[in-house]
Amino acid sequence: MLKATEVVPLRTTANKLGVFRFRLVLAMIASYLAMMSFLIYSARHTTQTADVAADFSPAMVALASCMAFSVILTGFFVFVRNRD
Amino acid sequence: MLLLLATAFTFSAGGSAHAAQPDAQIRQAELSTIVFFVVFAVLTLLISFWASRRATSSSEYLTAGSSISAGQNGLAIAGDYMSAGAFLGLSGAIYASGLDGMFLAATYLASWPIVLFLVAEPLRRLGKYSFADVLTHKLRERPVRILAGASTVVIVSFYLVAQMVGAGELISLLFGIGYGPAVIMVGLLMIVFSTLGGMRAATWVQIIKAILMIGGSAMIATLVLAKFGFSVSDLFKMATGNHPNGNKIMDIRGFSQDAIATLSLGVGILFGTAGLPHILMRFFTVSDERAARISVFYATCLIGLFFAMLFFIGYGSIAVLRGDATYANASGALFGGNNLAPIHLARAVGGSILAGFISAVAFATILAVVSGLLIAGASSAANDLVVGLSGRQLDERMRLRISRISASVLGVLGIVFGLACEGQNVAYLLALATAIAASANFPLLLLAIYWDGLTTRGAVVGGTLGLISSVVLTAMGPTIWSKVLGLGPAIFPYDSPALFTVPLTLFVCWIVSIAKAEPEGDWRLSQPAVAQYVE
Repeated sequence: MLKATEVVPLRTTANKLGVFRFRLVLAMIASYLAMMSFLIYSARHTTQTADVAADFSPAMVALASCMAFSVILTGFFVFVRNRD
Repeated sequence: MLLLLATAFTFSAGGSAHAAQPDAQIRQAELSTIVFFVVFAVLTLLISFWASRRATSSSEYLTAGSSISAGQNGLAIAGDYMSAGAFLGLSGAIYASGLDGMFLAATYLASWPIVLFLVAEPLRRLGKYSFADVLTHKLRERPVRILAGASTVVIVSFYLVAQMVGAGELISLLFGIGYGPAVIMVGLLMIVFSTLGGMRAATWVQIIKAILMIGGSAMIATLVLAKFGFSVSDLFKMATGNHPNGNKIMDIRGFSQDAIATLSLGVGILFGTAGLPHILMRFFTVSDERAARISVFYATCLIGLFFAMLFFIGYGSIAVLRGDATYANASGALFGGNNLAPIHLARAVGGSILAGFISAVAFATILAVVSGLLIAGASSAANDLVVGLSGRQLDERMRLRISRISASVLGVLGIVFGLACEGQNVAYLLALATAIAASANFPLLLLAIYWDGLTTRGAVVGGTLGLISSVVLTAMGPTIWSKVLGLGPAIFPYDSPALFTVPLTLFVCWIVSIAKAEPEGDWRLSQPAVAQYVE
């Protein structure tokens, strides 16, 4: 084992949170919050019906939209960064 | 990970069913199950022996020599999240209560863009063996490594024990053996696999498992849809007709009761993923930042696809299994617990061969996940805890030796605690692990990467507070305080404290850092491990 005798001044900045990155993070969080708000709102204001549900519900569409948005956003980020 | 809640939910929902199940039906392993199991066990051992020949250095053992391609790493990351908890827990959650289970899946998927935008690239550029490497590029090495090592070992230990208990229960049900032998068998395989093959073996098993898991899920989902003439409407009609909650299973119910609790859970999962050690380790196995970000994209696509198939498996199990006395009792609870929904469904639509295949994939899933956890824990123990506590950098041979010893010790502890926790609902350990990851690891990582003003004192005080507050508040929440410990009404009203502890950690790091600047002549231990990665 080596002794810890060497002293190396080292204080560097790893990266800056760029405007592009920052906007994408905000977009993702906003999308997630929108999905959650919609789900909570729709669950509290559901109209009771005797008909049997036979199609995708608005809540399912909201969940699927958020999931699709997550995939699209990662793809967009990778596409833009790989072109740099 | 996430699926802790789904798993907890379905375990509790299926608890009574478990007690009432006809044991003979559950505890007789079929020949197909045993054949697939033996094939997978032999295959994983062959992979570990193959990988052990190359694992002669610590970088090869812990990070596969950073030679994993973006596609392979994407599959391995996806494999990490297609855990038994995800596959069985989410399907069981949908079976029990409908769309609530999918809410966790959407939250989980939304965490991946956060990982990609904020941590994936800098982690690959600045780190080598653990996320503490990123912290030490600007902070004093010893205190930061001790803190990061402690939180990593705690997270890995909690995770490991919970996985071992789940594995023991699942394997004993699937293969008709006792809980104790099941835990010991999984544990021994895990130790042999991890200490011999290291990260390369764990990665290849994850890749194979991910392909098998996606293939198996696609097969079940297709057979379910075929049963209803590929009409989703007919599937939904049958499901809502079978379920006692009727149309309510098409909406979010459980998570809409308390907006703050749901938001706190969401914050925990969104940011916790970016602080989980075994996920962060994956970014060290690829060659560069480009490969890191492409691998996240592949993983996100695969996980999204997997969750889409779970949706049909979940609703398919309601439509096919509920009301069928072969699989469920009169109250609708599945024999063996609701977590076995996809395995029962595989038998119902594809026969015993498909059910045996899916059971064996579930076993391979457990083995792959616990092996990845062991390697993440071993890496942090060798590179963070030992280095931080001793104040000395390790040479190559010593690092490799300590990593392997750490993997073995953690594995043995996992077996011992797994045996000790038989019959207990330990899903709260996973909740604790996620809370620590979100509240202690993620804020430190974020500030270390993006804020010049972070000081060692700020990081240590903030990180320690994040660790302690997340553990204490989770312990005082409804699940642990009231249900596990039985101490009466919970002191803290939410199961996940992340909504409060993440901002608290960030604030404390900031206020302590601006209160006193970092002393000049900052130093690091000799043989800097990461300096060459700094821009």
